[in-house]
Amino acid sequence: MALNRPIPVSLFFTCLADAFYPDVCFATVAVLERFGAEVRVPLSQTCCGQPAFNSGNRKEAGKMARKFLQAFAGEGYIVTPSGSCASMVKNEYPALFRDEPTMVALASFAGERTYELSQFLVDVLGVTDPQSSFRGKVTYHDSCHLRRGLGVFEAPRKLLRSIPGVNLVEMEDSDRCCGFGGVFSIKYPHISCRMAEDKIERILATGAQFVTSGDIGCLMNIGGMISRSGYPVKPIHLAQILAGNFEVPS
Amino acid sequence: MEPVGRKEELLRRIAVALRGHEAIKSASGATAGREAALSVADRIARFRNMFESQGGNFLAGPSLDPLLPELGEALRISGVTALFSPRGDERARLVAETLVPFGPFRLASPGEIRQLSAPSSAGFQTAEFAIAETGTIVQSGQKGKTLLPGLISDVHVAILSPAAFVDRMEECLAALSEDLPRTISFITGPSRTGDIEQTLTIGAHGPKKVIAVLLP
Amino acid sequence: MEPLSRFFYRRSEKALSDATLQASISRTTGKFVGARADAVAAFPGFETARDEGSRIKRETLDRLDHHLGRFIDEAERRGAVIHAARDGAEAREIATRIAKEEGVTLAVKSKSMVGEEVDLTGALEAAGVEVVESDLGEFIVQLAGETPSHIIAPAVHKTREQVSKLFVEKLGEPYTDKIPELVAIARRRLREKFLSAGMGVSGANFLCADTGSIALVTNEGNGRMGTTLPRVHLVVAGIEKVIPRLSDLPVFLRLLPRSATGQPISTYVSVLTGVKRPEDPEGPEKLHIILLDNGRSGILKGKYRDILKCIRCGACLNICPVYQSVGGHAYGWTYPGPIGSVLTPLMTGLAEGVPLANASTLCGACADVCPVKIPIPGLLLELRADERDRGLKDPAEVFGMKGYAAVMSRAGILEALERIAGVISSVFLKEGKAPWLPFRFSGWTDRRDFPAPAPQPFRKLWKKQRGIRPWNR
Ligand code: SF4
Repeated sequence: MALNRPIPVSLFFTCLADAFYPDVCFATVAVLERFGAEVRVPLSQTCCGQPAFNSGNRKEAGKMARKFLQAFAGEGYIVTPSGSCASMVKNEYPALFRDEPTMVALASFAGERTYELSQFLVDVLGVTDPQSSFRGKVTYHDSCHLRRGLGVFEAPRKLLRSIPGVNLVEMEDSDRCCGFGGVFSIKYPHISCRMAEDKIERILATGAQFVTSGDIGCLMNIGGMISRSGYPVKPIHLAQILAGNFEVPS
Repeated sequence: MEPVGRKEELLRRIAVALRGHEAIKSASGATAGREAALSVADRIARFRNMFESQGGNFLAGPSLDPLLPELGEALRISGVTALFSPRGDERARLVAETLVPFGPFRLASPGEIRQLSAPSSAGFQTAEFAIAETGTIVQSGQKGKTLLPGLISDVHVAILSPAAFVDRMEECLAALSEDLPRTISFITGPSRTGDIEQTLTIGAHGPKKVIAVLLP
Repeated sequence: MEPLSRFFYRRSEKALSDATLQASISRTTGKFVGARADAVAAFPGFETARDEGSRIKRETLDRLDHHLGRFIDEAERRGAVIHAARDGAEAREIATRIAKEEGVTLAVKSKSMVGEEVDLTGALEAAGVEVVESDLGEFIVQLAGETPSHIIAPAVHKTREQVSKLFVEKLGEPYTDKIPELVAIARRRLREKFLSAGMGVSGANFLCADTGSIALVTNEGNGRMGTTLPRVHLVVAGIEKVIPRLSDLPVFLRLLPRSATGQPISTYVSVLTGVKRPEDPEGPEKLHIILLDNGRSGILKGKYRDILKCIRCGACLNICPVYQSVGGHAYGWTYPGPIGSVLTPLMTGLAEGVPLANASTLCGACADVCPVKIPIPGLLLELRADERDRGLKDPAEVFGMKGYAAVMSRAGILEALERIAGVISSVFLKEGKAPWLPFRFSGWTDRRDFPAPAPQPFRKLWKKQRGIRPWNR
């Protein structure tokens, strides 16, 4: 579904994906370009400040948020492969800057243009078939902030279902938290692990080969437990499934 | 006695706390669950459905006589032997009296039932309202009425007439508000508890069975 | 009761290793969650009722002085005696004074979270009054010398075997593992008490300002008996329980039982107005109402006002994955779960309660189900920010956050660090995962791996692949 005019998109690749999962970033770019986006990557971006904000360290969060707003000051869409990061910009920046009207204005200008990948593909670009060659039995985990913060539930499922090689199987309580919670997983690792185990139990019950999600934090948490215990399921980011086989530069 | 001023002090403390903190803007009042008024027959059907789904027993007939065997049986299997009705409630007294031959029953006084050693009892009383929305029977203490039949008996038999049925809780409260009694009691099915292992168990403190008898 | 929330970490570890407890928590919360979902699905007006209930509660709080004043006037006009208690100590003192003045030796109490909050039972017992908890769950908990673990179902942490052993030991009843028999024992034992008690003690689910009425919601019927049979009725209620009108009550009756147990309505709702009138055959001759502040007027002042909208339905507990993991007792005070994680720091002090505010992933499931739409995750975030502002945070966390913000302030610094980490990881880590992390992070890797940093970060690879374009700076 090529569009006539290129659609300007700034990639908000997120600090976690940058440092740990460059493949996810490239997959995101590949999918966006497939549907006519002109992808720019503001390289001065670092972190949206979510870990600091969520742990109550607002001064530091504010610093990072300012930095983010500078990096993404231009026009055009801001798209990210992470629901919680998009939710941070859209939902939390206004609260963070509540005492600074100019910053609130800047923040809402950025917030209005910010989308999570699947949301952007379906709601903005109107993609119905992601044209992916991916094959496998897949179950989808709803990230809390993507599901509740942004209200995205159908979009990723729609995309997954229209990939011919994908067999999407729903897990029980797909929108139950995986126990990551950023700083929470460091402060209360025992509860966090317990929640992750509950999640994995439900994932395994589906018999899926892959568990996917639109949030990097969740996948890092779920994936960390899978890798330690050697469960027979592979974590993979939604962007990678949507991209299918593509060249990852090394 | 209460030291003078504590109440005033509390209210002042609250007023000070509220000062300077903005109130939310009031949205216009929406009203939940308001539907077009039901016909009497629909209202009764709705009540019955809700009442039965919450463990109540519902009996209705063109007159009392055809209902007596079933009602007697229901009380007998619950082990009831004593029947009582409050003073002044002629309709309830009539039902209780007529029922005596339909089981091992005798009439008792409310005072007897109040005793700890009381026999297993059924309390008969005319209910003031039946709310279709929730399947609720309403008894109140208006004009000196007692609440004992629906409170301390083992089986509560509520006598209803078609005029007692209302669609929603609001209507019943509005009607009772004109001369607000000390007690309004909404009763929906038998007393229950889930406090041990979340297992629904009937007959915690109140009646173990509630029977609504609709008579014309 | 004495708060123990500062020990949440240790208490939660203990709870996680208690297999019996784990089984009972997951059974209960599972049932409640399912029942609530079914009840909401069966009632199309639920969302409208939520909006309405939330609005009424908030508007009442915004003018609480007015509405509470009205309640006091109307209740007094109908014969109630109103007492204001600034804190728990005052509430206890007032209650014991009332018991003494009224010559009460035996009191039956129905479930009241405010009663737990100020330890009313303990105070009355210390003053020589026998207090019998009449809610079955509370009765069990009282016999066991424990505190409730759930605001709706106090004894959910107990199995039938444990309950029966308790009845054998404390009541001399024969052992049975049949739940109906256990319920029958409690019914018989408590009936005695209802018939002879001089005072009934209850909380209030709602206080109706325009009529001075108290609304009580129960399933067992203990609330009705305890407020109809004894000569004196003592009510303890938080000041936030007021609703403006009796006619507002139905909205809340549509919300509360559905959210709590999934019932369309609770078995019993009592609306009690004033004392027994001359023509009434039963009802209390004396009605005392203690209105408890205990920090609530302070909460009203600021950004946490919304938490006072709570109608104590317990839905947020049941849905919360943290509560589901650790149960109620780990929280260490009267109110567990998400509602407790906000109330405890506000009512017992930030230092005491803030560990609870931090023990949440902010997943938002609680706000999704809250019948009065309290934005719980947002309030948890505010508490965490207050923790930092008041200097209560672990210095290591603050130090770490500062360092992290410094790194993130320049993409160049970040990239340099990422590349160092990438080199280290490619030399030392196998299969792209870290089996352990240092220092404060070590808990993360107890049972799961942490990913190894990529040899080269995305930003570096991107520059290599596409070069630096003017818009990519
Ligand atoms: S906070 Fe909301 S969901 Fe939780 S107990 Fe209170 S009213 Fe219920």
